[in-house]
Amino acid sequence: MKKRNLILTIISIIVLAIFIFYADSNFDAYQVRILNLCAIYTILGLSMNLINGFTGLFSLGHAGFMAVGAYTTALLTMSLAAKEQNFFMQPLVAPLNSIVWPFLPSLLAGGLMAAFVAYLIGAPALRLKGDYLAIATLGFGEIIRVIFTNTQNITNGALGLKGIPSSTNLWWSFGIAIVTIIVLLSLINSSYGRAFKAIREDEIAAESMGINLFKHKSISFMIGAFFAGVGGGLLGSLLGTIDPLMFRFLLTFNILLIIVLGGMSSVTGTIISAFVITIAQEVLRFLDEPMNFGFAVVQITGLRMVIFSALLMVVVLFYRNGLMGSREFSWDKLIKLFKRNPLVKGGTK
Amino acid sequence: MSLLKADQITMQFGGLTAVNNFNLELNKNEIVALIGPNGAGKTTAFNMITGVYNPTKGKIYFEGKDITGLRPDQITSLGIARTFQNIRLFKELSVLENVLIANHLNVKSNVFEAIFKLPRYMKEEKSMISKSIELLDKVGLGDLKYEKSSSLPYGKQRRLEIARALATNPKILLLDEPAAGMNPKETEDLTSFIKEIKEQFDLTIFMIEHHMQVVMGISNVIYVLDYGITIAQGSPYDIQNNQKVIEAYLGVSENDA
Repeated sequence: MKKRNLILTIISIIVLAIFIFYADSNFDAYQVRILNLCAIYTILGLSMNLINGFTGLFSLGHAGFMAVGAYTTALLTMSLAAKEQNFFMQPLVAPLNSIVWPFLPSLLAGGLMAAFVAYLIGAPALRLKGDYLAIATLGFGEIIRVIFTNTQNITNGALGLKGIPSSTNLWWSFGIAIVTIIVLLSLINSSYGRAFKAIREDEIAAESMGINLFKHKSISFMIGAFFAGVGGGLLGSLLGTIDPLMFRFLLTFNILLIIVLGGMSSVTGTIISAFVITIAQEVLRFLDEPMNFGFAVVQITGLRMVIFSALLMVVVLFYRNGLMGSREFSWDKLIKLFKRNPLVKGGTK
Repeated sequence: MSLLKADQITMQFGGLTAVNNFNLELNKNEIVALIGPNGAGKTTAFNMITGVYNPTKGKIYFEGKDITGLRPDQITSLGIARTFQNIRLFKELSVLENVLIANHLNVKSNVFEAIFKLPRYMKEEKSMISKSIELLDKVGLGDLKYEKSSSLPYGKQRRLEIARALATNPKILLLDEPAAGMNPKETEDLTSFIKEIKEQFDLTIFMIEHHMQVVMGISNVIYVLDYGITIAQGSPYDIQNNQKVIEAYLGVSENDA
């Protein structure tokens, strides 16, 4: 059984690879970009779901971690010429102005940097609970952004960074998304993952079962921040330009939306919801354009967001726990669904 | 030497003294009960021993080592496990997972070994699972291991909570009103269950309980708290005949006062 599931998983990854290969050469730039965004939002959603959904820490500092990752990756990958062009107000500080790293190590460095920042923020913030933690992390996220606006000789301040080499392509984004899924699934189903869920279910009971709350919350927070940093790095490289305003708390809420709609403790739900929301936001774009009703041509700017919000409300009203709740996809369930066996009752399965 | 010793522990919440100069001595393999009217400070005394509260005054010694002010998880890993008055299971998780979580404190592998499924972690995980299944079989929850813990009937949930505490390999088990809300049949089952696990796991048990059948039936020593003050301690027989205890539970008649 286990072997069969592994084979099925490998086959589906190969199918995905073939699809990416096809998409890479046949889709137009716009479609490729949306697919990239889908994969990046999957990474971001999963990283936030680890913290908020699986460990039950209501953290809203995600945009801050993404900013750290995006800036670190950008500053490490940018060519020396681009750096010189960007930093005309004040020159870039010493080691950064002379190094250019390849993409993968830069992404990892971005993730590690974000995890380090999470460690620093976590030390005071993770002693708080519930809404207080949300407010504190929201504040820290904003502080990161404000610091980035004011450190002219490192981040180029409000001017942002332009000319980031666009290394992100479908292979990178989907590849890293798959790695994220595998790592997080493995973590969630391990003893540490069970400890995270115990903290979510009941902190007091978890603590008296010998789980060091602070240590485990920090681990979850840092791993979540690591993937947020990697996602931020991919996003920066995809867009080619970043500035501090991009990482306002609205970005955090976009990701929160994905995980709430997908189900707060479901990896499957987050993946589905990341794709659905990213694509829906593009598909609904026609609502902003002039529409011909026959008798009149109407253009309501912003209608897209109104409809989008209404759709969200419907989903939240009728699927209280998100699309998937805490359920997960498994091959066994899928096969059961297709194998209609009328002799189950009283017979052998 | 006593296994656990509380020396004059006091807990004050602002102006209210919930527990005043409480002394306790637990010897190995004893069953000790703590009784008293509602609000007497029994659970507070429990919370001080398990590290939920840091006593305002006094010291707690476990196997001669000062454990006052340690965190609950540190105290649990030393060998003091507890259950709660209102059941606190990990509701969304399965029965087996509940017990596995209690095994987590013995995991030596770090989080990276767990993520990448390195040999040391896989070995630990395997032994953890077989140990937990064995434990569940012992306490009679073996058939229910994949059920969601909140779907169990009340008596079984209590049993699972005790099993979960046992999974941390305790030397002392603290039970906070294990028979609360149970019918006579369940109470009887529980009493024999407590006796059973005491023998099987070589435990010392300290419990808070209101059901006098349970308390008088199995405890070696009883402590009585009233308004935070220890008004009596002794064998079940002594307690039953202690005037102060009777007064605390039933009140004083106006003629005597």
